Amino acid sequence: MTSRFLGITFLSPALVSVILFFLLPVLLTVVFAFTNMSTSTGIMGGDYRIIKDQLRSLPDAGVSNESIEQLETAGFQITETGLAALARNFSADTAEELGRNYMGETFTARRDLERVLRGLDDPIRKTRDRKAAADLFAVTIMGERYDSEASFRTALASTGIDTADHDALVNVAYTGWTWTTDNFRLLLELPSTLRYAMNTAFYVVCTLLFNITFGLFLAISTFYLPAKLANTFRAVWFLPRILPPVLYVLMWSWFTWDNGFIATVTGWFGVPPQNWMMQTSTHAWTVVVLINGFVGASLGMILFSSAIKAIPTSMLYASEVDGANRWQQVRFIILPQMRWPILFMTSYQTLSLLTSFEYILLATDGGPGRGTEVWALAAYHTALNNYGGNLQYGLGAAYALVLVVIGIALSALYLRFFNFKELLIKPRIEQ
Amino acid sequence: MNTNSRIWHLVVILAIFSAPLLIMYVFQVMDSFTERRPDSLWPGELDLSNWRFLWEKIDSGRPSIWVVTFNTFVFATTTAVAVTSLSTMAGYALSRLNMPGRPYFLGGLIMLHAFPTITLIIAIFIILQFLGLFDSLLGIIFVKAALELPFGIWIMKGFYDTVPWEIEMAGVQDGASRVRVWWELVLPQVKPGLAALLIISFLSGWSEFVLPLVLAPGSSTQVLATYMNAVIQDDATADFGLFKAIGMFYSIPVIVIYLLFQKQLMNIYGGGTKG
Amino acid sequence: MELKLNKFTKRFGDTTVIKDMDLTVASGEMLALLGPSGCGKSTTLFAICGIHKMSGGTLHFGERDVTTVPAQQRSVGVVFQNYALYPHMTVEQNIGFPLKVQKLSKSVIKAEVARLAELVQIGDLLNRRPAQLSGGQQQRVALARAMIRKPDVLLLDEPLANLDAKLRLEMRSEIRRIQRETGITAILVTHDQVEAMSMCDRIALMKEGKIVQLDKPENMYANPGTQFVAGFLGNPPISFLPATAGETLSLGGNQTLARPSTLDAQGDIVIGIRPEHFGPQHGTGLEGEVIFVEPQGREDLIDVRLDNGGAICAILPSGEPVKLGQRVNWGVASERILAFANDGSRL
Repeated sequence: MTSRFLGITFLSPALVSVILFFLLPVLLTVVFAFTNMSTSTGIMGGDYRIIKDQLRSLPDAGVSNESIEQLETAGFQITETGLAALARNFSADTAEELGRNYMGETFTARRDLERVLRGLDDPIRKTRDRKAAADLFAVTIMGERYDSEASFRTALASTGIDTADHDALVNVAYTGWTWTTDNFRLLLELPSTLRYAMNTAFYVVCTLLFNITFGLFLAISTFYLPAKLANTFRAVWFLPRILPPVLYVLMWSWFTWDNGFIATVTGWFGVPPQNWMMQTSTHAWTVVVLINGFVGASLGMILFSSAIKAIPTSMLYASEVDGANRWQQVRFIILPQMRWPILFMTSYQTLSLLTSFEYILLATDGGPGRGTEVWALAAYHTALNNYGGNLQYGLGAAYALVLVVIGIALSALYLRFFNFKELLIKPRIEQ
Repeated sequence: MNTNSRIWHLVVILAIFSAPLLIMYVFQVMDSFTERRPDSLWPGELDLSNWRFLWEKIDSGRPSIWVVTFNTFVFATTTAVAVTSLSTMAGYALSRLNMPGRPYFLGGLIMLHAFPTITLIIAIFIILQFLGLFDSLLGIIFVKAALELPFGIWIMKGFYDTVPWEIEMAGVQDGASRVRVWWELVLPQVKPGLAALLIISFLSGWSEFVLPLVLAPGSSTQVLATYMNAVIQDDATADFGLFKAIGMFYSIPVIVIYLLFQKQLMNIYGGGTKG
Repeated sequence: MELKLNKFTKRFGDTTVIKDMDLTVASGEMLALLGPSGCGKSTTLFAICGIHKMSGGTLHFGERDVTTVPAQQRSVGVVFQNYALYPHMTVEQNIGFPLKVQKLSKSVIKAEVARLAELVQIGDLLNRRPAQLSGGQQQRVALARAMIRKPDVLLLDEPLANLDAKLRLEMRSEIRRIQRETGITAILVTHDQVEAMSMCDRIALMKEGKIVQLDKPENMYANPGTQFVAGFLGNPPISFLPATAGETLSLGGNQTLARPSTLDAQGDIVIGIRPEHFGPQHGTGLEGEVIFVEPQGREDLIDVRLDNGGAICAILPSGEPVKLGQRVNWGVASERILAFANDGSRL
């Protein structure tokens, strides 16, 4: 077996899942971003129908008032189908007589038709029955469902509505999704967009700063501690990384909520209990940055620690022999060696912070108000979970698309940075 | 480094910064077992009522904790096994096999890191509905496994890269096919990688929250993360004792794995994210 | 079995590493592929064992054309520089692996492993793992594993490079003994001329993808085809001096040497003098000052700066009263002078 064939075989299961759950979703995100898909349009296409609620918006769609009136009031017509139904539900004689005398005639109001029904030789006597019988001849298309455009147009034609208005009505009546660029127009116009962008930038910069300075501090300080102490601190800081986010955030909630730790302690000094997480946006931001920062700092600590360990000890001894104190050693020996790990950490974390929202979702859910709503969370709220209940997949996809574009751009940049060529060393067995 | 009085300054500073975490850990454990007066920080009497969720439904309409735990276990183990086996094969192909388009696969692999959950999940939501896998464990297993793959492949490729080429060359010279060389000679060298990946992807599956929340919201497919979140969301009184007990229960496997493999885990998280 | 490379060409991408190389190794012969790093000797080895594909040319083992035969079916045993023992297998499993692949019965494998272990003298180590072995022992296991299939050809890739000096001497003779005992055709790839000269029947000296000379070790030393060959062989190395050939060889600065009788060139040339051919035992002729004395135990290496500025090396039995800074006037065995044209070719 050649390794070429073997390679494809080995790769294909991974390739299939990557195509199905990475490439296809990215492609679909692009597609969805140009549609108005939402809960109400469904995702599978739709049918045609006009309901009462839509009548008011019809003039905006360019439908003439006359046609609207026709839609609203139309109408009753004596037809074969109506007669057949009448014969079935009431009496064949009545139907036969009505058909003989009034075939094809229309009535704008039900009252008129009811009068006719009462006046027949074989009348329908009960008022309630007459109403029901008249309804059998209703020809209005209001509230009716048509599963194709053609059948909807046929129905429109039968109502006698001005043909000039048919196209506009078809558009209004369509319940499925359509292609549109409105999502991007909305993104540009909505004031909240700018807000989310600013929130995201603020969140990324603050968390990143915290992660890196604190990660560095932890790595360097534990480096100088005796092994046992250092390991204890490292363990304390590593745990948040692998604890389930739901639990980790719960611990923070307990720490900050009005029946939690801070409130209890401050309560001893007479401060009334308050929610230290959700009180104001400032509170919320502090907690959000700390929650993410503590997790990120642990990653920084691990990364930087292994980088410090990689510094040849002879270099450190040499600096000590040269009379450098601790601070100088950190400043002139260790920090310069950290340049590369810091760069890596910055780029890696920028990307993951830009798109992360799990901890914010669990902690503040974007609140108070929209105070801590970041871009990724806004995409989630728009498309997958909001109180209004109408999930706007199209608009959400447009939000996500922005992140996809930024992600691709950044990672292409990193590829150039991190010496991609090194990866391309050819396999040494050529068969 | 020689001991030094100034180390104690450092320890004190570190301890202050670590205090929030330490306090959280201590009270996390304590509060789940005891009843504490709201305005005091001293533990009260031993009280196991917080653990009632283990033997009764805490409120109607909520699935039994054992069903949820079983779901979580199935979800985490299947994704871990799937991720590990697929990554083991794909990583070998990318590390060692001469095949067309290898540079593009490698570049693509790095690019995939740029698409975390949120950028994909809206489309995946719709794909799963289309496939009829929405609100099923199988659906989120597929998705979670696929999303973990780039990381897994990267880790495994790294481990394969450290196996000397000569071992493979010797195997080929000894008359073994490439598949046999891989299975019998190379795989034993990357066992630590396999174990690490298995553990990490299990932990990741065990902790996963957003995917089940969005893609499997029904109560029959609830996992511990969504279960616990739902309990927290639905409880108006913020009964932290109950929450913490559930959290303790939820995190048992995590703590056990953490205690057993702490060092290896740190190494992987330290090195694995490189590149 | 005879091995025959015909017009072998190897390209990596656009760069041609080896072009139209011919090489024949006689049955039962041990041949060294010697050369500086990057000369293409490893590439040649990898092509012979099938790990690299040949870009052009053919390869025959006896009558069998193996040019496109995959490595698994070539019947080549290889000992790698780092031995490439399988770390998770015992010595016994390592040696037996090639037979296990052939699906031979356990008893046959056991017997064969025992025979090979006997041959390389590691019978008592069979249950150990590679990590528990010394470098020399690992080397023996690698040899046994390479030989157990009774391959047509044995390839040794820098087999002694990872051993310390003493073990290297020991394994040098061991490998040669095993090769002689089994009568296998072998190719040794090395950058160490001492190894090549001491172990092999013939040496193919390579430079920049070409075989520059293929000869018996003693011939190659005494009668190098080019200045490169002369400079590559010999330790301490040969000293090269520019000279003008006329009645005598004039080195400039009034220093002259007698012409070797075989030399018929005139004008500017380069002469090479091996250290053993320069010294007081050869009379007088070249005057200079001792600038370096390196005692090596049995003999001393002495660098002399000639009055005309050239430098020349001598090797003398230790105990000669030569001091740093001392002025000397030593002679040269003029018939052993090697003369080269300025382009490096032998005159």
